[in-house]
Amino acid sequence: MTEFMSFDSEQDKELGARLQAMLDAGDNELFLARMRDAVRQAPRETPWDVLTRWAPAGLVAAVAAALLFWFTLGPTAGPDPATQLMASAPARMEIAPNQPEADVLVTSVLEGR
Amino acid sequence: MAAPSVRPSVRPSVHQRGEPPLRNPDVTDADLVRQSLDGDGDAFGVLVDRYGLAARRVARAVLGPGDDADDAVQDGMIAAWRALERFDAARSFRPWLMRIVANASLDMLRRRKVRRAVAVPETVVSGGIPPDRAAEGSLVRDRLKGALMELPERQRVAVVLFDAEGYSHAEIAGILGVPEGTVRSYVFHARRALRVALSDFKEGE
Repeated sequence: MTEFMSFDSEQDKELGARLQAMLDAGDNELFLARMRDAVRQAPRETPWDVLTRWAPAGLVAAVAAALLFWFTLGPTAGPDPATQLMASAPARMEIAPNQPEADVLVTSVLEGR
Repeated sequence: MAAPSVRPSVRPSVHQRGEPPLRNPDVTDADLVRQSLDGDGDAFGVLVDRYGLAARRVARAVLGPGDDADDAVQDGMIAAWRALERFDAARSFRPWLMRIVANASLDMLRRRKVRRAVAVPETVVSGGIPPDRAAEGSLVRDRLKGALMELPERQRVAVVLFDAEGYSHAEIAGILGVPEGTVRSYVFHARRALRVALSDFKEGE
């Protein structure tokens, strides 16, 4: 067998021949005929097959993306409705036709109504 | 009114054209792929003839002798046939097919490992070389088989593709999906183990 240096780039033909002989099964023609028959009977893949194969993965990815979007951007997209209501309460009271008393205004702001 | 001419929907097959069906060097892989895509199943059969036995040796290197290896090759061949539309004609067919077969073999090995709690190659279970086997050729084969099956499966594939099938490091890297340097390492370590296994016989030569 060929002596080889570390990471030799040359094929070791003697070892290769021994490996081939060891891995050959002997019934080669029968095996090839079986493979040809198997291929002949197999239908060719259609675009629909490709879509069907990828559909579950695509669905999972879409759901994951939607959840990610919801958790990262959803809650911070706008101010909390309660906060918004509290923030605008004094202004609404100011422009209301019947002005509230000052102590009512202060109390409602402090109590968060 | 003249009768409409009847034209075959596919080109005449390689066999019908009277060309030798097996390993005809005049017909390139690219031609055979094109004919297969045109619906010529026999053209793909020629590709099966060209690379089927090499694919079988790779599968047997991964899975050991037996039906599993043949089933893995069949799975790989059918997968290649079904996915032929997606094959990039600018690239070489041989490593593409071998990648599919190698992956089918490695997948089957994984499934087998799940089926059995511990996957031990038959050659190891048998306890090595039977003492009553006299023929040295048989002893060498058994020793080589035992040593090969003790290697990690990717090293097995790499050394068989490189030394037995003549693939380049770059092609094997593409087949296994690892860097070329990793393939060189696989081949180096596999060769060293196989040489140690065969060293007794070499001294006697």
